[in-house]
Amino acid sequence: MGGALVLMLLLVAVATLAANGARQLRYMALAFLGVALAAHLLTGPSVSLSQISVSAAAALVSAAVLYVAARDRRYGEDPGWRLWLATVVAASVAAAAFAFLRTTANEEVRITIIGEDPSGVTQEAGAFWLLASGVAILLTARGAVRGSLGALLMLTGTQLLVQLVPGPQLAFTLLLSWLQVVVALCGAFLILNERAVREA
Amino acid sequence: MIVPIALLGGGALVAFAVRKQVHLAGPLSAAALAAAIWWTISSPQEKSEVLGLQLRLSPLAQLGGAMLLSSLFILVLAVWLDEPAYNFFPTALAAGAAVTAVLTLTSPIAIYAVLLLALLVPVGSFTFQVTRNRSVEAAYRHFSFVALGGSLGIAALALAGSLPRDQPAGTFVVLIVIVVVAFALKLAAIPFHTHAALLATEVPAPALALYFGVLVPTTFIAFAEILTLSGLLPAIVQISKVQDLLLGLGTVSALGGAFLATGSTELRRVAAYSVIANLGQALVGIATLSGPGIVGAVAIALVTGAGATQQLLAAGAIERRAGADRPSAAVAPLASLAFVIGGLAMIGAPPLVAFPGHFFVELIAFSYSGSLGTALVASTLFVLIAQLRAAISIFRVAPERWRVERRPIAGISGVLVFLALLIGGVQPDGFLRPIAAFADEFIRALRPF
Repeated sequence: MGGALVLMLLLVAVATLAANGARQLRYMALAFLGVALAAHLLTGPSVSLSQISVSAAAALVSAAVLYVAARDRRYGEDPGWRLWLATVVAASVAAAAFAFLRTTANEEVRITIIGEDPSGVTQEAGAFWLLASGVAILLTARGAVRGSLGALLMLTGTQLLVQLVPGPQLAFTLLLSWLQVVVALCGAFLILNERAVREA
Repeated sequence: MIVPIALLGGGALVAFAVRKQVHLAGPLSAAALAAAIWWTISSPQEKSEVLGLQLRLSPLAQLGGAMLLSSLFILVLAVWLDEPAYNFFPTALAAGAAVTAVLTLTSPIAIYAVLLLALLVPVGSFTFQVTRNRSVEAAYRHFSFVALGGSLGIAALALAGSLPRDQPAGTFVVLIVIVVVAFALKLAAIPFHTHAALLATEVPAPALALYFGVLVPTTFIAFAEILTLSGLLPAIVQISKVQDLLLGLGTVSALGGAFLATGSTELRRVAAYSVIANLGQALVGIATLSGPGIVGAVAIALVTGAGATQQLLAAGAIERRAGADRPSAAVAPLASLAFVIGGLAMIGAPPLVAFPGHFFVELIAFSYSGSLGTALVASTLFVLIAQLRAAISIFRVAPERWRVERRPIAGISGVLVFLALLIGGVQPDGFLRPIAAFADEFIRALRPF
């Protein structure tokens, strides 16, 4: 799988669109799990097994927390026109960020559809897409259901970028994984409270 | 330094397990905080390492840790003895662990991640009686602002750390602007203050005091530390636009916060907007990139935190005792006194230790430009007017109608905070020297060669 990074990038994009378009929180949680797992595969062989185990466990716990918070299959938030706005904004912002922030002008990058990517371009592209999607979803969200999804997508994108920084990677992964779980717990707490207010 | 962090983190888990037994969770939380304060003050200033992350107990970490954990200790005492709220204790301990970690970590990304944990943990204590108020909406807005600003900020830091140094200047400008705006979101700097305005009216007073008294000052110190440690400061010196952005943001926040405080009639809002105004002044201090400016900025942030804890606890005690009536000294004269003397810390009045910070920042602002200095002095005057209006409104009742509260926790703790700030003002060296040591590091990071 480590040799098909561009395909993984495609999987991240499709799973993000599925999460963005889902009406039910449970489907959203499952789609988020798909995004997170595809994003971990996107990092390729440069990331250690312990890091992948920690971040995959955090993604699983986060998705499970949201899944349980839904309490029934139907609960969620209809994205409506927000789906299209979020998708268009995410695509344009991700492209702009990638063009502006990626590399120095002289750097030459070659990637193929199936093959490794030592330059980290696919990982950065995935990160920008997830961050832009998260921002767009969070800014257009009406409540904690889509708000939590946006926050989790942004954190997943952030994790991809942090993996490119030299430093104590296991410690960074542990911190960001905890952060992801706390975001999911806070989101679930807010979802339950919002529902209590709505049903009162 | 891992011991106090582990103690508070472990204490948070135990307090969560026994949270519904307030008579157990309260003293346990107070004891854990007291032990962490003692440990922070008495430990030698040395480095340690956990999973490759370096922790350093700097003089500023010792001072800030002692002050912020003391504020948490006061809050825990107030909640335990005066206003039982079972979910507050684990929140306070977890926030204490995160605050200690923020002050001692030396990796910008790790500091940022822990700061986000600290800011997210109180979401649980922001909501109460959810069908009667808008506390869920306030908590959700806070969650969104923290998640948005936090993820963007860490991402910008990670990009700045991973990109080759031979980038065009524009790239670093964008990254630094993202970091600055991300912190403005979390500091509730104007115009990014809408979540804080809603929090100020809707959430329980101790949770509000935890946010404005402990977490907002911690966020400010984290901002200064991250700038110092990230290697972005030389780029800020070279590109004056970023410095102008910081100055503009600080000035707008200082003036806007002070204006909003002046127009408020609610005690909590007066306190919250005074914090926003003071942190605006502190942002100007950082933006001047000068020794006195940085010393003043960090001093303002720390003292404002203590003043905010004092005022918001007092405001909560007065409002609770007043019930549906207008808050006044008649129902809680000691808490009212604590609110008024807390206002002295907010305006930076001498001889309190609040004075040097405001003096340094306003002085350096005048040396930067006359209009900037005037704006900051105007901001202080507006905060003074707001605090005077609040004091007059609660003390409008004749003294013979005052009924001293049965459990004057907010009043007593307010007087203790005031005395501590007074002693600090008489002996400012002990307070300013650790901050000056940090300012030295900041200045060295500005010009590394």
